[in-house]
Amino acid sequence: MTKADSIGQFEQLVLTAILTLYEEAYGVTIHAKVQDLAGAKAVSLGAVYVTLDRLEDKGLISSWLTDPTPERGGRAKRCYRLEAVGERALEESAATAKRVWDSIVRVWGKEWARRWRKEWGKGTA
Amino acid sequence: MPGRPPRALEAIVGFLTPPACREVVLGDLHERYRSPMQYISDAWYAVPCVVYSRIRRTADPGVLLMDALLLYVAFMAAARQFDRELLYSRLGLMRLAIPAGIAVVMLALADAYARPGRPTALRPLMQATLGVGLTGVAQTAFSAAGFSFALPLWIVLAGGSFGVVGVSIIGMLFPPDDHRPRGAG
Repeated sequence: MTKADSIGQFEQLVLTAILTLYEEAYGVTIHAKVQDLAGAKAVSLGAVYVTLDRLEDKGLISSWLTDPTPERGGRAKRCYRLEAVGERALEESAATAKRVWDSIVRVWGKEWARRWRKEWGKGTA
Repeated sequence: MPGRPPRALEAIVGFLTPPACREVVLGDLHERYRSPMQYISDAWYAVPCVVYSRIRRTADPGVLLMDALLLYVAFMAAARQFDRELLYSRLGLMRLAIPAGIAVVMLALADAYARPGRPTALRPLMQATLGVGLTGVAQTAFSAAGFSFALPLWIVLAGGSFGVVGVSIIGMLFPPDDHRPRGAG
């Protein structure tokens, strides 16, 4: 199996957005989803474009142009999907986040984890 | 219903966006349109990032370095021919580097704004002429504004002419890499 490149936090957000949007992953929807995942931090559309290009150059995602649509003024969308290397990179970053979480809980205790879930874990499983 | 963006605004944003991503960026901005101010704000943050990303994709640092060295040598040779004193003056060598630097930035932008697809045989010559020509315009403007670091006209003309030939040859030998992985085309 190909070893995935390590990815940054913003790249994780963009990959997660593409994963959750399935066939409807394009600039506008990815930006909205990343904004949702980032919480209070403002995310610019430009930052999403730069990251999408970089992820595509790394081979983690691929893209294709759709047919033009009237709500876009008769212009095409560029849709994105995760490649196998991208899925692997996302798995690795999720595993790292889990290890970080477990280490913090081991030191700060389960009571802190319960309080954290109450405060920050809205909408998470 | 917010309607559609004003045509003039779309035309300006379309002009500033590199052709390779123009349709997608204009489509996304059109879809997000709520008001002219919101459209300008979106474009203000999106277009510079798109240009940066396009430069990152099309520019080859090795080729740009070769262009920069060649242009610097061309301006030095022109200075040696027309104004040898300049070479030995204080900051003379730095003054010669300024047009080379400006030309390299112009060449990187020319690659980013080039239409996608197979380049024609004339494209490197046209890009080099445009890049070095705009450098000449900038130098003339510096000179007119009375900046002390502006180069004499003959050095700009002679160095620029040698530079156009050299940069065109480099452009023909090393065309920009516009064929990055695009997967599921």
